[in-house]
Amino acid sequence: MSDSAPVDPWDRARTLAMGTVVRVTTDDGREWRGAVVPPHELSGERILQLKLATGYNVGLRLAPTDTLEVLEAAPPIGNGSTAPVARSASPGSEPWLALLTTGGTIASRVDYRTGGVRPVQGESEILSFYPDLDRDGPVRVVPVFDRLSEEIGPPDWEEMARRTVAVLAEGASGVVIAHGTDTLAYTSAALSFLLEDLPGPVVIVGAQRSPDRPSSDGFTNLSAAVRLARHPELAEVVVVMHEGLSDDRFAIHRGTRVRKMHSSRRDAFRSRNGPPIGWIEGTTVHLVHPFRARSKGPARFSGPMGTGAMILWFHPGLEPSRAEAFVSGARGVVIAGTGLGNLALTHLPWIQRAISRGTTLAMTTQCLEGVADPYVYATGRELARAGVLYLGDMLPETAYTKLLWALGRSTDPKIVGELLLAPRAGEVEPRHEAEDHL
Amino acid sequence: MKAGLEVHQQLATGKLFCACPAELSETVTRTVTRRLRATGGENHAIDAAAAFQASRNLTYEYEATPTSCLVELDEEPPHALDPEALDVALTMALLLDARPLDEVEVMRKIVVDGSNTSGFQRTALVAVDGTLEVDGKTYSIPTICLEEDAARKVGESKEGIRYRLDRLGIPLVEIATGPEIASGPEARAVAEELGILLRATGRVRRGIGTIREDVNVSTEGGARVELKGVQDLRRIHQYVDGEVERQKLLLATAATLRARGARVPTDAPVEVSHLLRGVASGPLGDALRTGGVVVGIGLPGFGGLLAPPGTARERLGRELADYARATGLRGLFHSDEAPSHGIEGEVVPALRAALGASLSEDAFVLVGAPEAARAHRALAAVRQRATDSLRGVPEETRDPMPDGRTRYSRPLPGRDRMYPETDVPPIPVSPERIRTLRARLPPHPREVRARLVAAHRLSDETVRTLQRSGEVERFDWLTGRGHAAPLVAQLLSREIVATGDETEPFEFPVGLLDEILTAVESGDFAKEGLGRVLAALAEGSPTVADAVARSGLQTMSRAELDRLASSLVAKNAPLIAAKGSGAFSPLMGDLMREVRGRRDGQEVAAVLRDALAKQATTGAA
Repeated sequence: MSDSAPVDPWDRARTLAMGTVVRVTTDDGREWRGAVVPPHELSGERILQLKLATGYNVGLRLAPTDTLEVLEAAPPIGNGSTAPVARSASPGSEPWLALLTTGGTIASRVDYRTGGVRPVQGESEILSFYPDLDRDGPVRVVPVFDRLSEEIGPPDWEEMARRTVAVLAEGASGVVIAHGTDTLAYTSAALSFLLEDLPGPVVIVGAQRSPDRPSSDGFTNLSAAVRLARHPELAEVVVVMHEGLSDDRFAIHRGTRVRKMHSSRRDAFRSRNGPPIGWIEGTTVHLVHPFRARSKGPARFSGPMGTGAMILWFHPGLEPSRAEAFVSGARGVVIAGTGLGNLALTHLPWIQRAISRGTTLAMTTQCLEGVADPYVYATGRELARAGVLYLGDMLPETAYTKLLWALGRSTDPKIVGELLLAPRAGEVEPRHEAEDHL
Repeated sequence: MKAGLEVHQQLATGKLFCACPAELSETVTRTVTRRLRATGGENHAIDAAAAFQASRNLTYEYEATPTSCLVELDEEPPHALDPEALDVALTMALLLDARPLDEVEVMRKIVVDGSNTSGFQRTALVAVDGTLEVDGKTYSIPTICLEEDAARKVGESKEGIRYRLDRLGIPLVEIATGPEIASGPEARAVAEELGILLRATGRVRRGIGTIREDVNVSTEGGARVELKGVQDLRRIHQYVDGEVERQKLLLATAATLRARGARVPTDAPVEVSHLLRGVASGPLGDALRTGGVVVGIGLPGFGGLLAPPGTARERLGRELADYARATGLRGLFHSDEAPSHGIEGEVVPALRAALGASLSEDAFVLVGAPEAARAHRALAAVRQRATDSLRGVPEETRDPMPDGRTRYSRPLPGRDRMYPETDVPPIPVSPERIRTLRARLPPHPREVRARLVAAHRLSDETVRTLQRSGEVERFDWLTGRGHAAPLVAQLLSREIVATGDETEPFEFPVGLLDEILTAVESGDFAKEGLGRVLAALAEGSPTVADAVARSGLQTMSRAELDRLASSLVAKNAPLIAAKGSGAFSPLMGDLMREVRGRRDGQEVAAVLRDALAKQATTGAA
C-alpha cells in the first residue's frame, strides 16, 4: 500500500472494519501487528485499538508520522462461531413452556464498541447462551421486545400480559418472562394485577450478570425459573432469583411483594414484609407458604392500565408548592411517607385541594418494611380525614402499579379508591411475624 | 531446547480492582457455592481450555475473608484499576527498557477452573519490547502485564474445589521473557535477576508464594508446554530438564507408533464390568463395588509402549492416565500394567477380545466410574491424548509436582479466551506520567551492584544475595554505622534468612541488628555464634546480652582456650604422631565444637597450631 501523498494514518484507521489486520509502524520504529477492534467509548484521542495475536488488546496513539498498512481484510461477521446453538423447541403433544424475552441483562451481551451491555438479537442468540433450556421439555422462545428494563413502561406491561394470555391460550403450561432486573418488580406487580384466572405459573426472571460472563447468575436463575414454570399446581405471577450468594438456592417471590434491594448482588431481590412463597433447590421446588393454585382458565387480560399516576417521595425540606406542582395534573398519587405514613402538615392544604379535584392520594411507607397506619400519630389522622388512603404494608411500587390498574378500570375516584383498597394479588399481608424483618 | 519464563510478582499496593488490602487471612467469614460456564468472547468462539474446564461441571466453594469484599465475590463491579499498581508496573517497564503502551486496556482472560469467581482473570498489557541482561547475555522481554491474582486453592473434593478469596485481586506484575533461555541454571539466573529488579521498586510483597514462575518450554520437533506455578526457583532447571526428557521420550514413542501403524479407533467404548466383577482390585474394583461401571477401549499398536520397561518416570501410560484424571476420575488401568490389580490370567485375553486388542502389539485401557457417561467422557479424553501421541507432543499446560516431575492440567489456552473487560475504562498513559516515573526511578540494581562491589570489595554473588533478599538498604545503613561490610553481609544475606520459620521469617529490626554487630565487634561473642544468638532473640530473648548468655556464648578467656587446646593435643598424641600435619583438621573440628561462637575461629586455629608446634617440640625433645 503506497500512497502518493502522506496520509494521516488516523484518517485511514477510522474507516477500517472491525477485524481488519493491520501493521502499524510508529515513529520510534516499532511495528505492531493486530486486528482492529472497536475502541472503548472512553478511549482517548487518536487511539487505535488492536487485538494482538496473544489476545491482548492494546491502545496505540497514532501520530501523523506513523504508517499504517492493511495486511488482511476483515473476516465476514459471525465467522468462526463455535458456540453451541440449541434448537428451538417445537411444541408437540408434550407440555410446553413459553419463554418471553423482553431484553435486560439476562438477554444481554457485552457490546465491545460501547463497552456496555446490549440486548441479544433474537431467538437464536438467546438459545446460544442457554443451550440446556429445554432439557426437561419443549420451550418456545417468544421475543416480545429487546429493552433494558429502565426503558419499560405501562404499555409494555400490557404487551407482556397480552402475550402471556395468548401463549397460555395456545396451550403453554407455564410462562417464563426474562426481564431486566432494575424495574422487574414493577413488572411483576403490574402483571399480578393485569392477569386473571391463570391456568399456570408466570415466572419472571432476570440476571445481575450478563450471560457472556462465565459467572452469570442468568444460567442458574433461568434454569430454576423453567423448573418452577413446570410446577403442576402454582398459578400466580412470581419472581425467581438467587436467594443468597451461592448458585444453589433460588427464592420464589410473590410478584406484588418483591423488591430489588441491591444494585449488583445476585441475591438483590427480597420479599418484603414476609417470607418468599418458597424455594427451589437443585431439582426440588419447595412451596412452603400459601400460593394461588391453577384455575381452569382461560387466562384473562384485565387491563388496560390507566394513566396519570405517580409516586411522591416525601423528604425533609420538600416545599409544599413544589410538591403540588409536581403532582399537578395527576389522577392519582402514591405518597411514600415517612415512618408510619407521615409528611409535614404544611402539605395538608395542597393534599386537600388535590383530593377535592378528584385526585386519588394513597399513603405507603418509605421505610423498606412495615405498615402505613394513620391512627398512631395526629398527622396520620389529619391526612386520613382529608381522604388520603392508607395502604397498609403495600410497597410503594406495587401501590403505583395497582393505582394505574385501578385508574384503567374507572374514572370515578370513589371506585378507584375502593379498587385500590381491595386485596387482589397478595399485595397486602395482614400478619407479620417477628422473623420477617430483613 | 528453548525456554521462556513468566515471572509473576505480587505487589504490596492495595488490591487491583477494589479497596481491599493485599493481604492473606486465616479468618473465613462466609462460604458461597458457585458454578461457572464457558462462554463465547468477542467473536463467540469458546476457548478450548475454557470449554474443557467447564465440561468438568464442578462446583466451586469460595471462602470470604476480612480482606475480601463484594468485588471478589463477583457481587459488585470492579473499581478503577489501582493507579499505584500501574505505576509499579510502569516502573518495571522502564527498568527493563520496555516501551509502555499509550493506553492500557484491561482484558478478561477466561479461566473457568474456578480460581476467579467471575470466570475470568483481569489482565492488561502495560509495556512491550524490553530487555534484560544477565551474566553478559541479553534476553528479550516481549511483554509486561499487570493482572489480578487468582483465589487461593485451599481444598479439593470429588464435587469441586474450595478457594479462599483473600488472594483474589492482589496485583501481579507479569514479566515474560523470550524463548532464549538455554538451560535450567540460566532460567534460575534470569528469574533471580527479575526478582531483584522487582524488589528494587520497593513495592513488592515478600514471603512464600508472593513470586511465582511459569516456564514455557519448547524443544526441537516437540511442542510448547507451559509449566504453571513453579514456586521453587532452585527447581526450574529440574522441571525444564524433565520436560526435555519427557518430550524426547514422547517423540521416540510417536516414531515407533507410526512405524507400527498404530491407530486410535473411534468405535464406541465397551463396558466390561461383567468380566471384572469380583476379579479387579484397586480403583476398578472400587468402582464396581460401589455400583459403578468399568468401560474400556482398544488401542491397536500401542502394546508395550504405554509403560515400556526401564521408563519408570515418563511414559505414555501416565500421560493417558493424567487425561482421564483431568476429567475427574481416579485414573485408568492399561494393558501394560497387567498382571496387577487382579487383572491377570484368563481375564486378560477375554478383555483383549472384548476390546478389539487381541494382538500382543495391541493395548487396551480401562476406566472405572460411578456411571457410564463419566467413563465415556474420560475415555474420549484418553483417545484425544492417544491420537496426539501419534504426532508427538501436544501443547499443554502442566502442573509442576513436588517430586520435580510435571503433570497434565489442561489444554494450552488460546487467544479466544481474551476479551475486553468493559466494566473498567481504558487507562491513558500520558508522556507526563512516564516522565515523572522516570525521574523517580530507583537506582538500577546493576548500578547498585557495581557500587557495593567497588566500595566494600564484596563478591558479586554476595551482593546479589543481598539484593535478592531486599537487604541493600539495611546493608547501607549498617555499614554507614561503621560495621564491617563482610560481617554485615554475612548477617543479612545468610544468618537472618536461616532464622525462624520458612513461612514466617522473624523480622529483626535494624536497630537490633546494629546492637548484635556491636556485640560481636566488641568481643561479647564470636561471629560464629551469630546463628545461635539470632535464634535466641527470635525465641524471645529480650536483649542481645541475654541471648548471648542463653546460647552459652559468653566469650571464653584466652587462657581457657589455651588450656583446652593443650589438653586436646595431649590426648591425641598417637593421632598426631601418625598423621603429622594431617591431624590439624580433625582436631580443629573437635575444638570448634567446644568453642564455636565463644572465640573467633581464626584465633582458635592459631592457638591450635601453637599447641601442635609445642607438642612437636616437646615430643622431639
